[in-house]
Amino acid sequence: MRTPLGRFLLKVVVWLPVAFVVWYFGAPVLLWPVKWVLAVIAHTGLPDLVTSVEQTAATFTFATSLKPGDALATSAHITVDVDGLLYSFGMPLFAALVLAAREPRWQRTLAVGYAVQLPFVAWGVLADFLKNIAITSGPLVTSQSGFASWQRELIAFAFQFGSLILPTVVPAVTWVLTHRAFLERLRERPERQQA
Amino acid sequence: MLTVESPSVIRFFVQFLVLQAVLFGAELTPWAQEYFVVPWTNTLAALSARLVTFFDPNVLAAGKMLQSTANGFAVSIESGCNGVEATIVLLAAILAFPAPWKHRLMGLVAGIVAVQGLNVIRVISLFYLGQWNLNVFEWAHLYVWQALIMLDVLIVWLVWVRTLPDAPAAPAPARA
Repeated sequence: MRTPLGRFLLKVVVWLPVAFVVWYFGAPVLLWPVKWVLAVIAHTGLPDLVTSVEQTAATFTFATSLKPGDALATSAHITVDVDGLLYSFGMPLFAALVLAAREPRWQRTLAVGYAVQLPFVAWGVLADFLKNIAITSGPLVTSQSGFASWQRELIAFAFQFGSLILPTVVPAVTWVLTHRAFLERLRERPERQQA
Repeated sequence: MLTVESPSVIRFFVQFLVLQAVLFGAELTPWAQEYFVVPWTNTLAALSARLVTFFDPNVLAAGKMLQSTANGFAVSIESGCNGVEATIVLLAAILAFPAPWKHRLMGLVAGIVAVQGLNVIRVISLFYLGQWNLNVFEWAHLYVWQALIMLDVLIVWLVWVRTLPDAPAAPAPARA
């Protein structure tokens, strides 16, 4: 751990558990703006499908106009819960990277990174909800949702991309973009400095 | 050579994102699943079982499952846990960064070994965490290991960038 990169990695590993604890217990507050992003998207893009979006701790509940498959004549409606933690675990990773680098104005960078990640967390949560009603629910529910075959394919891709790629790539990319000077210094080697 | 300070950084990120989306889309096709992802995942399970049997003989691999013959506990290696997505991210980051092809190939080989090596540790650790405490297993599975694997990708990429030769000095702009 004598190299700058080794020292940096050690600091990240030290900060990561702290960041995870803060993120886990702070998630109800940290994810609060995501609820509003989701509510705006649902209101403007899916007004016939979603009647409301609620948040309980880190879980988002989508109330829909869809009826349970075996009770089409009743007034019951389907709700879908999505765990926001599943799509926001990049936040502690980003925080640990920022705190380990500790560049000037790191607090501002933390805030910027947090803001950048919010829409992508919303992407993951929304895609999870759509996957539920368009693909994984029973045929009576999926048929009510009214998505065409190509739309279901798109939802499947958005869900996979939003769950497997975005939660970790977005914080990493954001960190690289906000730490270019730090990366330049990391890249310097003694022989380069002497040259 | 592109440095992280150069204006070409935007081009790098655009190429990185496009490559990533294309490779990820390709990974989801039935052909890639049948001929690459499933065999790779099964190999990962078999390799993990082989390593574990050095200290625990009560483990076997069946397809993409790693199972304890002592208590019946099993883990199934699914998408996101087979290291394919992390490898795609690394692949896109190395290919998008301007570098000689020789360095790219060396970076890819070493990087894939590093990412998949840590992924084997992830699978084995989750296999034992699950037998010990399911809450801890869930935490490690859903959040901690995901972050650690991406940290591994980032560090591998940073190390690779550090090994690249310096760019020749740019010629001075001609005066009009």
